[in-house]
Parts: sequence; C-alpha cells; structure tokens
Amino acid sequence: MLEVDSFTKYYGELCAVEDLSFRIEEGEFVTLLGPSGCGKSTTLHAIAGLVEPTDGRIRLRGTDVTDLPPEKRNIGMAFQSTALFPHMTVRENIAYGLKMHGYSAADVEDRVEESLELVDMPDHGDHKPGELSGGQQQRVSLARSLAYEPDILLLDEPLTGLDRVLREEMRGWLNRIQREVNVTTLYVTHDQEDALSMSDTVVVLNDGQAQQIDSPERIYESPANPFVAEFVGKSTQFTGTVTHENGQAVVYNDEKRITLPDSSIDDDQSVSLYVRPEDIEVSPEPMGAENEFRGIITDIANLGNRAELSATLEDGSTALAHTTRFPDIDVDDDIFLRFPAERVIVL
Amino acid sequence: MSVQRGGLGRVTHIIGEGLEGRIANRHLALFGLGFVGLFFVLPILLLIPESLNLGSTTPFESYRRVANGIYVDAFVRSFLYGFVTTVVTLALAYMLSYFLAFSTERVRTAMILIIVPLWIAYIVRYFGILLFLSPAGPLADLTGFETDLLFTTPAVIIGLANVYLPFAVLPIYNSLNAIDEELVNASRVLGAGKWRTITKVIFPLSLPGLVAAGLIVFILAAGSFLGPAVLGGPNQTMIANVIAQAFLDNFNIQFASALAIVYTVLLVGLLLVFNTLFDLQEVLGNI
Amino acid sequence: MSTRTTTKLEGVTFRALITLVFAFLLLPVLIVVLTSFTQQNFPAIPQEGVSLKWYQELLADQRLLNALTVSLIVSTVSAILSAIIGTIAAIGFVRGEFPYKEQISTVMLLPMIISPVITGIALVRYFSTIQLPSGFPALILGHTVLSLPYVFLLVRSELLTYDRDLERASRVLGADPATTFRHVTGPIISPAILAGAFIAFVVSFGEFTATQFLISPGTSTVPVVIYTMLRTGLTPTINALSVVLIVVMLVLALSSRKLSST
Repeated sequence: MLEVDSFTKYYGELCAVEDLSFRIEEGEFVTLLGPSGCGKSTTLHAIAGLVEPTDGRIRLRGTDVTDLPPEKRNIGMAFQSTALFPHMTVRENIAYGLKMHGYSAADVEDRVEESLELVDMPDHGDHKPGELSGGQQQRVSLARSLAYEPDILLLDEPLTGLDRVLREEMRGWLNRIQREVNVTTLYVTHDQEDALSMSDTVVVLNDGQAQQIDSPERIYESPANPFVAEFVGKSTQFTGTVTHENGQAVVYNDEKRITLPDSSIDDDQSVSLYVRPEDIEVSPEPMGAENEFRGIITDIANLGNRAELSATLEDGSTALAHTTRFPDIDVDDDIFLRFPAERVIVL
Repeated sequence: MSVQRGGLGRVTHIIGEGLEGRIANRHLALFGLGFVGLFFVLPILLLIPESLNLGSTTPFESYRRVANGIYVDAFVRSFLYGFVTTVVTLALAYMLSYFLAFSTERVRTAMILIIVPLWIAYIVRYFGILLFLSPAGPLADLTGFETDLLFTTPAVIIGLANVYLPFAVLPIYNSLNAIDEELVNASRVLGAGKWRTITKVIFPLSLPGLVAAGLIVFILAAGSFLGPAVLGGPNQTMIANVIAQAFLDNFNIQFASALAIVYTVLLVGLLLVFNTLFDLQEVLGNI
Repeated sequence: MSTRTTTKLEGVTFRALITLVFAFLLLPVLIVVLTSFTQQNFPAIPQEGVSLKWYQELLADQRLLNALTVSLIVSTVSAILSAIIGTIAAIGFVRGEFPYKEQISTVMLLPMIISPVITGIALVRYFSTIQLPSGFPALILGHTVLSLPYVFLLVRSELLTYDRDLERASRVLGADPATTFRHVTGPIISPAILAGAFIAFVVSFGEFTATQFLISPGTSTVPVVIYTMLRTGLTPTINALSVVLIVVMLVLALSSRKLSST
C-alpha cells in the first residue's frame, strides 16, 4: 500500500532521517514513535510531498510518487495545529478538499454532510474553527482529511495539544473511525501510550533511524535494543556479564545472582537486563526465591487503580514495581522484590 | 487549473509560484530590494558625484565651503537639538509608558490618544504648536497669558519633543509591558521599596526599549526640517533647512549634495559609535 | 500611616504629571480643530458661537481643492503600489533563505531612516536624470518609496505569525500553489496588506519635507499648501484645511488599526 524505501533526508549537513524503510499494508494502522527531533515528522512530510527526500523512493499503491507535488498524491493529513482555515466555516473547510479533488457541487454537499455525521458534529457546519474546542477542531480536521477518500491518512501528533482525559477519549474514537472507514493510517507521535493502544504496527525511530518495527506487544515485551526498552515503558535495569551455573545462564549484579530466561546465551557477554514494574512482586518478608532483592522504599506514587513503588536496592540502583492501590507500606520500609526469570528482558 | 486570465490572477499565480519555490522567495526579496535600490539607494549614492565639482581643478570646493562657520553651526545645532530633544522626549515618554504599563485604568483609550497624533501630518501638529505659543494666538487670546517663546530655541525643542513623543512611547511601553509582573512582586516581597524596585528592577529591564526610543527620536529630530522652519527663527536653522535652502533658494545642487553627504556620514559615524556601546541590531529589534 | 500618605501624594503628583503630558501631546492638535470654527479673521478659540465660514472659504478656493485632489490621487496610487511591492518584499524576506537576511532587510527600512530632505533632493535630481516628469509621476514614485517600509513591516510581522501548516494542509487537500495563495494565504494576510496600504496612504498624505522638492506647478499637495500659507500669514482657512487633512488621515488610520487587530 505505502512503501518507504531507503528514505534519507539531509538539511544541509544535518541528517534528519537516514535510510529508513518500512511498508504499510491496506487498512493497517501504523505508528511512527520517537522522541522529538527523531525524524518522524520529516518522514510524514516526505510521504505527503511537503518535504523533498535527499534520497530514497516513496511508493503509494505501487506508483512511485516521490516526484509528485502534494496535491497530486491523494493523501489525507491532520496536523497537530489542526491547520483549519480560520476564514472559512467548518463546512467550507471540509468542502475545500472535495472541490480540489474535482467533486461536483452536489457531491460536495452530500459528502460534507456525511463527513460531519462521521465525526459526530452534524450541527457545527456553519461555525468558524475559532468557535470550536480543541477536540472539536481535531474532529473537523479529521473529517476534512477523510472526506475525499484519500488512499492513506497521515496524522501528525493530532492529540498532542489535548488534555489527558480528552486524549484518552479521542484515542478510542479515532480507532473507531479508522475501522469504520477502513482507511490505511500512518500516525506520528512521541507518546508511547498513543502508539501502544492504537496501532497494528509501531515503528520506533531515533536519530533518524528505525530502531524496531513490530507489533505493540512485541515492542513492549521484546524490545530490539536498549533504546526501545528505555523509551517504551518503564523498567528496572541491571547490567552484568553472563556466566553459566548448573546449565542456567545467570548474571551477577553486585554479588546478587539474576537468573536469565534463556540458557542458550553465550558466556562472558555484557548484557543489559530490564524488568517491567508489573512483573515485580513486592513483599515485606523474604520469599526465599531466585531473583530476589532487598530494598528500601523511597517513594510511593498512588495512581488510583494501582501504586508505583520506587525502591533503592542494596547495590544502590533503583527499582520500580507496581502493587495494588494504596499498599500497606511506608517510605523507608524494608521490602523484598522478586521477579520470575522468564520475565527478564535480556539485551 | 493553471490557465490564468485577468491581471490579478496573474499576480496571484506569480506569488503562488513564489510560495512553492519555482520563483524562489529570494527573488521576491530581490524585487523589493531592487525597487528600494533603484529608487532610493542609488539616488542617494548619486549625490556623491553631484557634490563634486568634477572636471575642475577644485573638485572639493563645496566641501571646503561646508567647513564655513555658519554651516558648522547648523551641524552642531542639529546634533545638539537632536540630543536635547531626545532627553526631554525620553523623560516624558517614560512617564507615559510607565503609566500605560502599570496602571489598571483605561489603558486602551490612553494608548489610542498617544498613537492618534502619529497619524496626523507633522505640518498640522507644528501649526498647532505655533498657535499654542503664538503671542497673539488663541491661547494668549483666551487666557491672557503670553509667552515670547515663539521663534526661539525652546520653541523648536518643544515642537520636536511634541511631534516625536509617540515614537518614543511605543518601544518603551513594549519593554515595560514585557516585564513579568512576578518580578516586580518578588522585588517588593524581598523588601525593596517602590523606588528601589523601579531603579533596581524595572528601569534596567526597560533599558533596551529606552535605548531604541532614544535612537529613533535622535535620528528623526536631528534631521527635522519642519520643526525649525515653522517654530524657529534665523538663529535656529538646522541642517535640513540649510540643505533645502541651498537647493531651493540658491539652486546650488552641488553644495546641497555636499551638505547632505557630510550630514549622512556624520550620522552614520555617530551610529557606529553607538553600535560599540549598544548592539544596533538588537536595538532595531526593539522598534 | 506616614508611608501611606506619601504614596497617596506620589499617586496624585504622578497623575497630575501624566495629565500634563497628555495635554502637551494633544492640545496643539485640539487648538487647530477648535480654532477652525472661529467667526473672526484669525485663528481664535470660538467664544460667542461657531461658524463654518472657513470651510465654505475652502470649498470656494480652487487652489485648495486642487491640492486636495492631487493629494488624494498621489496617496491612493502610491499606497496601492507600496502595498503590492511591500507585500512581495515581505514574503521574500520572511520565506526566503539567504545569507545576512536580517542585515539586508534593514535596507528596506532606509527610506524611513534617512532625513526626508536628503531623500527629496536625491530623488528630484535622479528623476531629472532618468527624465521622469516632475509632478504626478515623481510624487507617486517618491511617496511609494517613502511609505514602503511601513507596509513591509506590517506584512512581515503578519507573515511571521502565519501558521504555515495552513498552506501545507491546502496542498495536501489538492490545491496547487497558486490556488493555495488565492484561497488560503491571500485571504488570511489580506487584512494586514490592506492595513499596510492605509498606513501608506496616511504617510503619503501627510508627507511634506521630501514632497516640497517633487511638486511641479499645479501639483501642490495639501501639506505643501498649508506650509506656503503659514509662511504668508495666519488665516483660519489653514485650520479648515488642516482639519480636512486630520479627518482623512484619522479615518484611514483607524480603519487600518481595526483591520490589523482582527
């Protein structure tokens, strides 16, 4: 459907994106995830034709569109700033793309109404964008970019300006619309929750290079490298060198032994180990099991449905663990943390 | 789609192309620069050959004349009046700006009242001051209070300060307005009195605006023609009047050009000195 | 207690000072307007009733009406020209990328920095060299140059705050660059361009110093006529003419302000 082939972009000497390749299948929801300045917006703009690639090709439905101007690509795009034309009404905004795509006056009228229905705003056609709330503006922006049935929908951080509650609501809503129209979607965000909750596939970008292209589950549970492990989700981190004891691969971290999930790993390899907070079990008494650490609670953050504990371990490192909400523990309490070997991520 | 008919369509088409980059934006900038270059910078530069008595044995004759006492006086007077006007104007403008920035009442109306004179022709405003100061004028007529200021140096300074006051208020007000109110509150909470807060916090922070305002007023006042022409007498002649007189009354283009060039060189020189004290680019950014 | 009184005293003194400064700024203009309604033969503040006879005088004076026409023509044409040229230049300087852009852009502001006397003699010499007739052509071209910086500054600041995503959105929605300018960029920046044109008109309408060199017999502008009349003696006709000038300038300037604030 969409094929980005060794896309490279230099701004002068500065490299924004280096040799990036990925493809999107028909109807798929793909997210480009990365910190700001990682090249994700540049990539999106290149697909839209707003940025000229230094090297590489972009193919849409099998056609090479690399040299086509944006208006010839049949793409839909929603911007973080919404980019609604302030001097036009909502209706005129939606009609704009339809007219430019050569729809007849009658078709334009019908489709504008359909689009307004689609985004649940049938009564707002005559409003100016300035009279709408941030969430409503984003919905109009989406209606505008979907009205003329583009081959692909590009979303450039559309939820970034919204507050937390609205953002979560919009996620579900966006997913519903996307399924309803079944439009191939490329979403750009720096927010891992957006990426993990909405996408079929996530492309993690950093410093202009793809770090991992995978399903959200695999991105979270089997990150390809330390960057992905640290950028997506929280974790407790250990480092050490692999040795084998009784046929099991282990790492000694300051006298403490950590058993690894897979014994096939070679000896003497330096590795980073990551354990997700929800995989760590906390107890005030020692449990006497493997991969058990003793620590002192330094912070308890009650997040409503659960609590996040920070603890300093004996070697001075910091561990993160989730417990049930409002645990019967206080800061400075001694605790024991344990995690099963099969939940250790080895990189 | 690209078929264009009327003239306006043509213009938008060219600008549209410019926006896309087929006609690079720098070509549009070049067009503007070209216009100013052709009809402003070049004419000014051509004053240099105009000022020389080319083909004679004394090409710099006019410049020798510039060094004459009465002309030197006019130069000195221009810069002196410019300086005094700047000081007076800045003092008044600072009060107005302070009032606008920190008072809670009807700031919008006050701002309009300050800007309105900017939109009125200089000639009308100088005429107003002439009536104001005139010994047989309406004010004297109404109040019986007569001044004999008209056609003296103070009259010219009053006129210049009046006319350029709004120019000075805008940059000072902007810099005062940009001061975070929290800073003022912090200073008061930390124990500084009102005056100490003004001298130690507000004044230093508003300095860029003050310097910018001073620069504008000085340049405008020193080069003023109408101020001395309407409100001054023969002893208040400034450089602009001398240039105009040489050109219009004596038809001495060469001498007028020489005066213009000497004045411009002196002014640029002053600006360069100023530039070593303050960053000119930064000051201009405050305007 | 004592600090409270001083603050209060300070407040009163400050307020009195501010009132004085406002009076200093506005009284001269006010006097011009008031004395235009006098019944006497010299500019006096009307005490026993007002009269419009100086305005009637104005309407009867062919020379003054001619000056008004000349001023209106010159200012209108030069405002349109400087709006077009200033807008093109502003787009170029905001969107273009070239070395020393900021420094070079000060060249665009030179006409408002150089003393208008120097501009005047430079232009009149130059125009005679390139054989541009004095009178309307010289006045219009000269006023275009003089008012250009104002349009340039206004449109530039509008473009600097303009969200370029709007243009990107228009392109992605299927509009080519020209269509995008016609339907999106143009309509959004046009209030600023119009505001610039109005200010250019105001600058041109009030310009005297450079103008005195550019006029030819029969093409005197209103400020030049006022100046000439001032030299020959004070009559309330000058006031009436000044008030016409004030009204035209204020109406346009206020419309400009309204435009640029929306």
